[in-house]
Amino acid sequence: MSPNAAVGKWLAANGPEADVVLSTRVRLARNVAEVPFTHRATETDHERTIEVARWALADSGYLDSGKFLSNEELAEPQGQYLIERHLASPDFVASKAKRGLYVSNDETTSLMVNEEDHLRFQVMASGLDFPEAFTAAAALDEKLERQLQYAFSGEFGFLTACPTNLGTGMRASVLAHLPALVITREIEKVLRGAMHIGLAVRGLYGEGSETKGNFFQISNQKTVGQTEWEIIETIADISRQVITYERKAREYLMKKLRVEVEDKVFRSLGLLKGARVLSSDEAINLIAGLRLGVALGIINEVNLEQVTRLMILVRPANLQAMLGEKLSAAERDERRATFVRETLVHQ
Amino acid sequence: MKVSQLDKDGKVTEISICAECARARGFTEVEKLKANVAEIITELKNRIDEGDSRLICRTCGLSYAEFKKQGRLGCADCYVSFHDQLVPLIRRIHDAVQHVGRTASGGRKQAQQKMNVAKLREALSGAIQDEDYEKAAALRDQLRRTEEE
Ligand SMILES: [Zn+2]
Ligand SMILES: [Zn+2]
Repeated sequence: MSPNAAVGKWLAANGPEADVVLSTRVRLARNVAEVPFTHRATETDHERTIEVARWALADSGYLDSGKFLSNEELAEPQGQYLIERHLASPDFVASKAKRGLYVSNDETTSLMVNEEDHLRFQVMASGLDFPEAFTAAAALDEKLERQLQYAFSGEFGFLTACPTNLGTGMRASVLAHLPALVITREIEKVLRGAMHIGLAVRGLYGEGSETKGNFFQISNQKTVGQTEWEIIETIADISRQVITYERKAREYLMKKLRVEVEDKVFRSLGLLKGARVLSSDEAINLIAGLRLGVALGIINEVNLEQVTRLMILVRPANLQAMLGEKLSAAERDERRATFVRETLVHQ
Repeated sequence: MKVSQLDKDGKVTEISICAECARARGFTEVEKLKANVAEIITELKNRIDEGDSRLICRTCGLSYAEFKKQGRLGCADCYVSFHDQLVPLIRRIHDAVQHVGRTASGGRKQAQQKMNVAKLREALSGAIQDEDYEKAAALRDQLRRTEEE
């Protein structure tokens, strides 16, 4: 595999409950005191906020193990590449304000400067691992706070541009792969439980019911009135329940519909190994099928990590970055098929 | 005829009286009265809403009307400027208003201060290079003050 094919450490598929949960993410929103929020700040404000953030990161040692991208370095195709790697938000990439972005070398930590809030930073961990993600996010929060003054009120907590992020400023989420619950049509019932207690559930790719690959993100909606750990415990509890249901559904499928499941899984593998043209959407659906086979132990020739990294590398901007070429859509589909084939045939 | 009498406590009692006397004494029919009360309440509410819309954050200049349109506040002080209007909104979103999580310890602004010092030093050496000693002296004073902060 080419050396450019590295992906973030959070995609290593070696965390707790990795057969069902891809990753855990904790994101904190913070604003610098006495500077208007991003959308109302001047260009000079934007530049100063970027500089202050860079200073703070440098002084706390974060630049020793990561890099800071300037506004110019965030232009396309870099923006799309970062979105696909979950390191920057689409709003951030599309924004006309001057921005800066910190990314740690292992891609577990990133910090956006001048998104909707001045600072939005996140830590991602493999599997269901809030202790890992939250501890690292809180550590960065403390380091930053030693360097700059946050907009904070005793009543409302951390002050954010939008009142929906107020208080803890925290959005905690779990990304789960739930194919067996989708096949057995239990998914709605299970996810309704999560929504009932005020959590948000959405598909990873595309909104609403059209979710590619059966990946679902569970996250908190409320950020005021509960401590960070209370919020995290709620999401972790629900996630553990969802994991149990998914595993039960997988057991059921293996007992009652083994042939059908094996057929689906081996067809996915066969197409990935044999296709000469692969769109990004088709690739993700097939890789998801393959992932189920690996998680169930039906397929042993590839492991969870290889499957998980493929999910990122087949996406358009990452494929082109890895190949070091700018390609048309048709060229991409062809090169994608070649890359997937080579990865699965001779690894 | 029977007419309704609305006393000071808002209690409606029915009394028997002839129509002419009723008019003479200033009584109106209860339905009309209720309609009037509703109108008055609506009118008051509109006036409050209008007043809210005219609210402006003195720090950043954002009006409450603009906030209602775009959903984003302009600065941290907006939470003070629109406090009473935001509390019910925050409660609707979060089912709570009082923050209970991590707190900010009031950072020491080291990065901000260091950056200011670095900028002043740069300006100072520029002024010395340009032999603008008057400016250099002013910058030196400013630098000293900043470093002492
Ligand atoms: Zn009479
Ligand atoms: Zn304001």
